[in-house]
Amino acid sequence: MQPRIKQFPQLAAAALKDEQIQNNLLGLYNGFHQARIAASEATPNWDELSDRGRAIKAHTIDNLDYYLEMVERTVTAAGGKVFFAKDSDEATQYVIEVAKARGVKLAIKGKSMVSEEMGLNHRLEEAGIEPVETDLGEYIIQLADETPFHIIAPAIHKSKEQVSDLFQEKLGTPPMTEISDLAAEARRQLRKKFIEADMGITGANFVVAETGTVALVTNEGNGRMSTSMPKLHIAITGMEKVLPSIEDLGIMLRLLIRSATGQRISSYVTTVTGPRKSDDEDGPEEFHLVLVDNGRSKLLADPALRESLYCIRCGACLNACPVYRKVGGHAYGWVYPGPIGAIVSPMLTGLSDGKDLPYASSLCGACKEACPVKINIPRMLLYMRHQLAEGDNYPEHKTAPLGEAITFKLWRLSLSNSLSLKIFSGLARLLQKPFAKDGRINKLPPPLSAWTNLRTFPALASRPFRKRWKS
Amino acid sequence: MDSKEFIANVRRSLGREEGSQVTPSEATHMSLSSQQVESWAQAITRGIEAHADEYMGQLEKTAVEAGWRVARCATAAQAASHIRNIVRDVEATSVLHSAHPALEALHLGETLIGTGANLEAMVLNDTSDREVQRDALRQKAINADIGITGVDYAIAETGTAVLLARKGVSRVVSLLPPVHIAVVEKGQVLPSLDELFTLRRKEFLHNNLGSYMNLISGPSRSADIEYQLVTGVHGPGEVHMVLIG
Ligand code: SF4
Repeated sequence: MQPRIKQFPQLAAAALKDEQIQNNLLGLYNGFHQARIAASEATPNWDELSDRGRAIKAHTIDNLDYYLEMVERTVTAAGGKVFFAKDSDEATQYVIEVAKARGVKLAIKGKSMVSEEMGLNHRLEEAGIEPVETDLGEYIIQLADETPFHIIAPAIHKSKEQVSDLFQEKLGTPPMTEISDLAAEARRQLRKKFIEADMGITGANFVVAETGTVALVTNEGNGRMSTSMPKLHIAITGMEKVLPSIEDLGIMLRLLIRSATGQRISSYVTTVTGPRKSDDEDGPEEFHLVLVDNGRSKLLADPALRESLYCIRCGACLNACPVYRKVGGHAYGWVYPGPIGAIVSPMLTGLSDGKDLPYASSLCGACKEACPVKINIPRMLLYMRHQLAEGDNYPEHKTAPLGEAITFKLWRLSLSNSLSLKIFSGLARLLQKPFAKDGRINKLPPPLSAWTNLRTFPALASRPFRKRWKS
Repeated sequence: MDSKEFIANVRRSLGREEGSQVTPSEATHMSLSSQQVESWAQAITRGIEAHADEYMGQLEKTAVEAGWRVARCATAAQAASHIRNIVRDVEATSVLHSAHPALEALHLGETLIGTGANLEAMVLNDTSDREVQRDALRQKAINADIGITGVDYAIAETGTAVLLARKGVSRVVSLLPPVHIAVVEKGQVLPSLDELFTLRRKEFLHNNLGSYMNLISGPSRSADIEYQLVTGVHGPGEVHMVLIG
C-alpha cells in the first residue's frame, strides 16, 4: 500500500470537519474503550497478567532469531512450509507463486494487517486472482477501495446508509435500512465465495514457536472458514508475532481480546498446526506461513524503539488517544493508525516522510496506560521527535527546517535576560496588533497560520505582568 | 529470502552472536520442564473431577453471558429430548453430527424420529476413496440446518466449547450450519484457559496436538457497522450448549 503519511496535516484537517467521522469516533470511545476498562477491571490480577505478557514479549523479541529458527523447524515438522520475506515484494511474490502453482482463481481473506502493508489485494488482481475480504468491515472497505480506519473495526467510520449505498452500487442490492439486513447480505455474498475459493489467506495473531501453531482470533467465523474450506491456506504475519510456548497463549489471548473489544474471549479462537492430517475429515491440504520483516528489523536494531515490537495490535491505544479520537484512522495515512501507528508507520515507511506523526500526540500517556503490554509509547514518540530534530541515529532523516531552528534560537535569546525579554515582547506586542481581538489571535498569516487554522491563540496582554505587579 | 540469511539479519539487528544459547525466561511457560507439565496436567485432571459441580455451575453462567442458549439437563435422556425440541423449533430437515463419544448416549437416531429431520454423521469411513467422501460430506455440511457436536473440553472462565481435531470431528459441522448444538458432560469443564493450554502442551509433548483446535464462545457476531451487534455473520447465529449432569 502506498503510504500517505506525508499528508497527515491535510488528512487530519479533513477528518475534523467530517461530522459522520466525528460521530462514529465517539461511538468507538463509548464502546471499545469503556468495554476494555470494564473487562480489565473484571479480570483478577490484570496488572500481573499485563506484566507477565510484557515479559513474555520482551524475552521473545530479545531472542527472536532463536525463536524464528524454532518456528521454521516446528511448522515444517507439522507438514507446513515457512517462508521468510524481507519485504512486501518478496512476500507478495511468494503468495502469487504458490497460488499460481495451484491454479488459484479465487482467494478468500481473513483480516491481515500485514497483507494491507503489502497492498496484496491489488497485486493479486494484477496476477489474475480475485481476492475477497471476508471480515465484514474489511469487505466493506474493499468494496469502497479504502484502507482500514481502525485495526479492530476497519469500517467503523461508515454509517449504515453509506454501507447500503455502497452495496447498491457494487452489488446491485436494493437499499437497506437495517444493519442486520446488511450483514445478512454480506453473509449471502461471501458464503458463495467461501464455497468456491481455492485459497484462504489469513493473518496470525500469534505464532507459537514450540509447536509450530498459528492462532487466529475472530468474532465472525471468517478465520475458521478461511482455514477450513479451501484446499490451500497461507497465513501471513509480521515476524514479531512469535510466542515461545503454547501455554503462553492463555495469557496473551486474555490480554489481546479483553483490550480489543472488552469481551472475555472472542466468539472464535482457532489454532492451526500444519495442514490437515490424513484422518481429518476436512481442512486444507497445504499450509504455508509467511513471516515478514518489511522494516521491522530497524525497530529491533534500535534499543530505544524495540519495545514497539511487543505490540499485539489490540487497538486499545487508538481508542484511548485524544488525537486519534479526533482525527481518526485515515489521517495517519497508512496501515497502522493511532499512537502505535505514529511510531511504526514512519519507521517502516520512512521517518522523514512521516515526520508529522510523532508530533500527533499530546504525550498525555493515555496510550501507555491502556496498553496491555505496557508499551511506553510516549517515550518513543519523544525519542523520535528528538531524532528528527537533533539526534544522530537517523541522520538522513533529520528534518528540522532552518526556519524552526532559527526561531528556537531567537526564543532562547529572548528569554536569556530581562532586557532581551523586554525588547522581544515589546516587538511581539507591536506585531500582533493587526491580528489580536478580545485577547485572542484568531488568524495569522502563513507560515504561522498553521497555529491558527484550527484553534485560536491567546494574545500577549497589552500590559506585561511585570508592569502590573509594580503598580 | 533464504531463511538462514533472514534469521542472520535478525540476529545482527539484535546485536547477538551466532550460536548464542537461549535459556527461556521464567515469564514464558517454555521454562517449565516436561515433568512439570506432566504433573500439572495430572493435577488438573484430578481437579476437574473433584470440582466438576462447581465448574459446571460457573460454565452455565458464563456460557449464557457469551451468548449460548444453555440447558442444564440431569440425564442424557433429558438432553436428548431438549435437542429434539430444538430440531422441531428450527424446523430442520437436515441435521449433521460429529463422532464425539458424548453423543452416543443420546441415541440421536431414535431421538429425532418423527421430527422430519434427516440425521447423518459427518465421518469418513474406510470403504471408498476419501477425496470423494470429503466432497460429499462438505456438500452435506453446506446444506445442513443444524450441526451437533460434543466437546473435548469446556472452559468455565469464558463460556467456551473446545473442539479438537480427532477422527470423526469435522471442522465445519460447528461452522457451516446456521444452528450449532454443543453437548458438554460433567467432568469436561476446565476452570480457565490456562488449564486448557497446559493440557494442550502435554498433548503436544505426547505428539498428539492435532492439526487444529477451535474455541467457540457464543454465536458468530460482528459490530463492524456502527458498532451495533449482529449475530450469525459467517458462522452459526444460534448456538445451544446442552450441559449433562
Ligand atoms: S501498542 Fe499496546 S495498546 Fe496499542 S495496539 Fe499495540 S498492544 Fe494494543
